[in-house]
Amino acid sequence: MDQAKAKSIPVVETVVAARIEAKPLDRIQRRAYRLYLIPSLAVLITVTIAPTLFLLVTSFTPLNLIVPETVGDFSRPFSNYNLLLQDKRFHNSVWVQIKLSLATVSLQLLAGLAIALLLNIRTKFLEACRTIFLIPMVLPPIVVAIIWKVLYTPDISPVLWALRSLGFPAPSLITEPDLALWAIIIADVWEWFPFTMLMILASLQMMPEDPLEAARIDGANSWQLFFCIVLPFLRPALLVSGLFRLIDSIKAFPLIYILTDGGPGTVTEVTNYYAFIQAFNFSYLGFSSAITVAMVTATFLLSWWIIKIVGTKVEIE
Amino acid sequence: MVMFPFFWLIHMSVKPDRDIFTFPPKLFFQPTADHYLALWKTDFRRSFMNSAVASVSTTLLSMLIGVPAAYALSRASFKADKQISLWILASRMAPPIAFTIPFFLIYRYLELLDTIAGLVIIYLTFNLSLVIWMMRAFFDGTPRSLEEAAWIDGASVWGGFLKIVLPISAPGLAATAIFCFLFSWNDFFLALILTRTQAMTAPVAVVNFMNYEGWEWGKIAAGGTMVMLPVVIFSLIVRKYLVRGLTAGAIKG
Repeated sequence: MDQAKAKSIPVVETVVAARIEAKPLDRIQRRAYRLYLIPSLAVLITVTIAPTLFLLVTSFTPLNLIVPETVGDFSRPFSNYNLLLQDKRFHNSVWVQIKLSLATVSLQLLAGLAIALLLNIRTKFLEACRTIFLIPMVLPPIVVAIIWKVLYTPDISPVLWALRSLGFPAPSLITEPDLALWAIIIADVWEWFPFTMLMILASLQMMPEDPLEAARIDGANSWQLFFCIVLPFLRPALLVSGLFRLIDSIKAFPLIYILTDGGPGTVTEVTNYYAFIQAFNFSYLGFSSAITVAMVTATFLLSWWIIKIVGTKVEIE
Repeated sequence: MVMFPFFWLIHMSVKPDRDIFTFPPKLFFQPTADHYLALWKTDFRRSFMNSAVASVSTTLLSMLIGVPAAYALSRASFKADKQISLWILASRMAPPIAFTIPFFLIYRYLELLDTIAGLVIIYLTFNLSLVIWMMRAFFDGTPRSLEEAAWIDGASVWGGFLKIVLPISAPGLAATAIFCFLFSWNDFFLALILTRTQAMTAPVAVVNFMNYEGWEWGKIAAGGTMVMLPVVIFSLIVRKYLVRGLTAGAIKG
């Protein structure tokens, strides 16, 4: 908000001049602006708020498309939520989600930080590298999933072949119950570390040189420089990119759909995936809506937390 | 390390079938376009066109509706400004399945399942917020003095917007449009649920090659390469704005 005001300062004179000459202009403008905004607000209400309310309503019914009587049955509005509290598979999905989110976010932060620090050293080399490192993030998620499916499939995987010929036992990660989640984590980290890297890099480039110089003159070694000056400076960037990734990790879908289909068993079945299965494999749309409402609530709490920390200007460039 | 998996897929797409399963991998082989030709003879061609039509339409529509709104938000100080921004941000944060279930039910009723129109509408959920969010930042960065000068010369608000503001925001408009296109093009989840055959998009079609006995890896690799081709090209074009677009609302699991 303040930024916008600051930007308009140089033009204050012209604005004042315009106001003196034509007072009604201000009213015309405001009316025009409102007119420009209305279509967007109308569409946004139709495509976001209305469906969300509809979702909430559905979550109070036992809606199942195979059983027509369940449409509009509000006799036991909280049965889905009761079921949710008792459903072991749902609890499992939340636990899988927590493991997946924590592992991917922390590894992405570590990888992003390491590579950003490396890239920050040689500035000339940087532009080219930056673009290359971006590729995993912009690829269609489905292509990322296919790429990793190839790398994890024993018949055709060059990586598993290489490991085996070097004498390492190389199980197919996606079919081993103990390792399947790691298969997803590795692929997800590969796909999204560029995001954390970019945010950290942007922050690094804004870092003032003076404190570093001063500390160096005082005889600090590079570890001390890193932990006492660089890391505290990067804290906001780490926090914001971590929270963004945390929220996005709740949406994980294509990787799981293609690589493991939630399995083996339910070891990689995150909440989002469980909601998908309930709704579109089992046709329990009412129950799935309740799961989704729980998920949306969690997402909003996290978003609210972000906004509280960084304000509404979440845009980091 | 980063690029290897990416290149491996492209290289698989031009490798003859018998060599795909050969290890140690043959590094020198006769490249073949067979997979692409075979792919183009299947329904994949229609899916590819569906993807293009759906992504372009939703981009045009959300730019048309969203750009004036972004301008209004940038220039006027609305009382509800903060709430609108929060709402826009929230709709980008929400997991897609939250919209998918109600849209699925409503589309069943309106017979919009498996239509491109249905996809275009649901893509507005994230594209419209993206346009408003990104374009607002661009407009905030353009000086007001130019349009104010035009108003004094007798131009209308709309005239000033069309003739003065839009031309100087051309790079921002292009970047935003490309982002809309990319996010719609990359969508898998919504198309998986809301389409069956007629309106199936390219990402869903590629995955369908995985459902048969004896997976056709050559075709899958060729399809994957074709799906990512426009994405890689466009990303290189807008790489300057990439960070802004992706942090403003990277979507789409």
